[in-house]
Amino acid sequence: MSPSLFFLLASLLFSIGLVGIISRKNLFVIYMSIELILSSINLLLATLSKVLGDASGSVIALLLIAVIAAEAALFLAIIIHLYKRHKTLDADKFNKLSEVN
Amino acid sequence: MPDTNTLELTIFSILALFMLGGSLTMISAKQTYISAFGFLVAMLGLAGEFALLDSRFLAVAQIMVSVGAIVILSILTILTINAKEENLPNEPYKFLWIIGTAILIAPFTFLLYNVLTLLPEHFATLEAINSKVVGKLLFSEWVLPFEIVSILLLTAMLGAIVIARDKVKGAKR
Amino acid sequence: MLNLIVVLPFISSLIIALVYLSNTNASRHFFYTLMGVGSLFVVTILSLSTLYEIIQGEPTIHSTLFTWLSLGSFNIQLAFMADRLSVMMISFITFIGLLIHIYAAGYMKGEEGYGKFFAYFNLFIGSMLLLVLADNPIIMFIGWELVGLSSYLLIGFYHKNPSNITAANKAFMLNRVGDFGFIMAIALLFISLEGTGFTFDSIEANISIISHADMTLIGILLFIGAMGKSAQIPLYVWLPDAMAGPTPVSALIHAATMVTAGVYMVARYSFLYIQIPDVGLFIASVGAASALFAAVLATYQSDIKKILAYSTMSQLGYMFVAVGLGAYSSGLFHVFTHAFFKALLFMGAGAVIIAMHHEQNIFKMGALKGRLKLVYITMFIATLAISGIPPFSGFFSKDAIIVATFAQKHYILWAVTTFTAGLTSFYMFRLIFTVFHAPRKEKKTLHPLSKSMTYPLVILAIGSTFAGFINIPQFLQLPDIIITLKHSNELMIEGMNVAVGVSGMLLAYRIYAFKPKEPQLKTLWCRLATNKFYIDEFYTAIIVKPLLYMSDFIAKVIDPKIFDGFINLNVTLYLASSEQFAKLQNGNVRFYALYILAGVSVMSFYLIFKLGVFL
Repeated sequence: MSPSLFFLLASLLFSIGLVGIISRKNLFVIYMSIELILSSINLLLATLSKVLGDASGSVIALLLIAVIAAEAALFLAIIIHLYKRHKTLDADKFNKLSEVN
Repeated sequence: MPDTNTLELTIFSILALFMLGGSLTMISAKQTYISAFGFLVAMLGLAGEFALLDSRFLAVAQIMVSVGAIVILSILTILTINAKEENLPNEPYKFLWIIGTAILIAPFTFLLYNVLTLLPEHFATLEAINSKVVGKLLFSEWVLPFEIVSILLLTAMLGAIVIARDKVKGAKR
Repeated sequence: MLNLIVVLPFISSLIIALVYLSNTNASRHFFYTLMGVGSLFVVTILSLSTLYEIIQGEPTIHSTLFTWLSLGSFNIQLAFMADRLSVMMISFITFIGLLIHIYAAGYMKGEEGYGKFFAYFNLFIGSMLLLVLADNPIIMFIGWELVGLSSYLLIGFYHKNPSNITAANKAFMLNRVGDFGFIMAIALLFISLEGTGFTFDSIEANISIISHADMTLIGILLFIGAMGKSAQIPLYVWLPDAMAGPTPVSALIHAATMVTAGVYMVARYSFLYIQIPDVGLFIASVGAASALFAAVLATYQSDIKKILAYSTMSQLGYMFVAVGLGAYSSGLFHVFTHAFFKALLFMGAGAVIIAMHHEQNIFKMGALKGRLKLVYITMFIATLAISGIPPFSGFFSKDAIIVATFAQKHYILWAVTTFTAGLTSFYMFRLIFTVFHAPRKEKKTLHPLSKSMTYPLVILAIGSTFAGFINIPQFLQLPDIIITLKHSNELMIEGMNVAVGVSGMLLAYRIYAFKPKEPQLKTLWCRLATNKFYIDEFYTAIIVKPLLYMSDFIAKVIDPKIFDGFINLNVTLYLASSEQFAKLQNGNVRFYALYILAGVSVMSFYLIFKLGVFL
């Protein structure tokens, strides 16, 4: 069981999360993919902590979990707010960045 | 010892399967709650991985927070929203998108993996990272980030409330 | 002082122009006359005093205004040189110019644009002096061009009539064709000299550097310029049309001065032409052909000014025969005498035209002998001069030329020039007899002539009579080819010339003094000659029409379809592609993330496969 396996896993999770963000229109799926990316980073940190023999990696990962929680709260609040206003969960409907027509 | 090694490897593989399977389901499911369950499985698998890496405190924290709070909250929100089948966004080319993006991302993943494996290849043997160790570090070396994160959580809480509440009639915004 | 001679007419022209432009309608007759004639008077005095200086034995006078252009070895000063040749030229140019200015003050009195006329006239004098006094080919070319410009401005003076404008354009354009040759010649000359200075003196000193082939080419190209300016075949067609300008213009520019610029130029480059006698023979042949052709055409013309125009072209042919054969002094002597009697003839013709209320057809005039006595006598003297009848000036100068052709054994040229002399006498006396002697049935009342128009005629008549006795050839000291001819032969030729001239006169008397008839268009020859052998139509057909068609084609087809079309195509392509690109920005963040990913992916592919990282 070498670190490279863990690294492989972390990279795969990262990619899967990225694919999820870009491919899906459902807001929830996008949100969960973001969480997945952050979790893969957590995994990476834990692996490094074991590789380097330093416990700080774990601590950082712990703090990161807290951050993830905070971000989750906000993200879900936004989703609720958007659903209330526009009655849609489609990310493509929110395209006011481009004022064509 | 070979036995423990294979045992660890098997456990690792099972957990990895959980995680990969869960995340793949998550990104490709049509119904939202199915995605949520996939996510749940992935997080559980991650907690297992943490334990495998001797970060015991982290594993437990992962289950408590990530699974017990975040996933539960997500499922709660999904059920609250209760979007009907027809209200869900229609994604005609979902499969194509996923495959396409996967192809695009493949080289990047390859590079990422290779860069990461440049790091040292051996696990250093040390004692397990339990709450004692974490606690010591948390309150000595990492006390500042700890405090800041707590403020962050407070802000996030307030923010969430403000964003998600209904417009209060008659109140000035 | 040379500076003043050239600059003064330009300054007075500018002042007159500015005053005229300030109020086009005000009739400041006195001011314009004073300025115009006065400046020319001063210039004449200065020129004559320069002449006096040179006669007193001083060698060439040089004078520099400023450095015009200085690029390494190409160093051009705006400098003037008065050697015997130029000083002779400026003397008669300014003198006759002064007389014609005085004449013009009377002729153009009351005309609209009087001030404009004198501005242009002074501009012309300045340009001509610049041309003659230039000390290097570039400055001479500037004068050459300016003279062409003044000619254009003055021919088109009565600009309300479109045919006058056409005539002015024609003059300018044909001049330009000649100038093409001139510019090529100057360029070639400069290149062949390889940077050894570019004034006439230094070119003369370094002439041996140039190869014979180059010299021949330069000589021919320079003559092409002269063909345009001095109306020789084939660039002569502008001269008859140029008669559309006021008569003083015809007198000054197209008789006495501008058209002789070509002859002056060949004489100025005499150090070049003596090296290339073949080109000289070519020049002489063109001159003789032009002389004969013009004389034939003049015999069939009815417009008094056109007859004189062709006569000028014919006499210019004589001058080119002379300078072509190396008899530079004789050529310039003829320039000198020709200026006097031709200016006189034109001014007299102008007087007759005014008197007959702007009638120009000689067959509608007659019996003016008694009523315009002064004009008649002076014009008769001038005609005697042009016919080469002694002791008038034309005899000496024309004679020198014909003797030169015989002495150099060019017998064809001799025969042509002698025959043309007879024709000259014939058509000139045809003019005199038809206008003055022939009887008319109705008597019209004549328009009175102002004094300023008659006095210059007298002075010029005196000049035509006695100018032959001024020994110009000896004064000029040009590198003539020495001719040896038995004295008896010379006398024989002279006698033949006189005989030919007198017989022309008698023949004209017999045919035209009693019952002049317009040329009947009976025979083919008559029709051809009266219509100038359709040369104008020929030029129009083979040159003008194709050019017009081509420019029409380019303007209607090539410009809008090809050039504009090409640019429009670019615009359309650009707009279309930008429309497609605009679709990429659909406001969807998901897509933007995809683009970023695509960029990262491309880079990763590049790193892995092209640079071989981690493979």
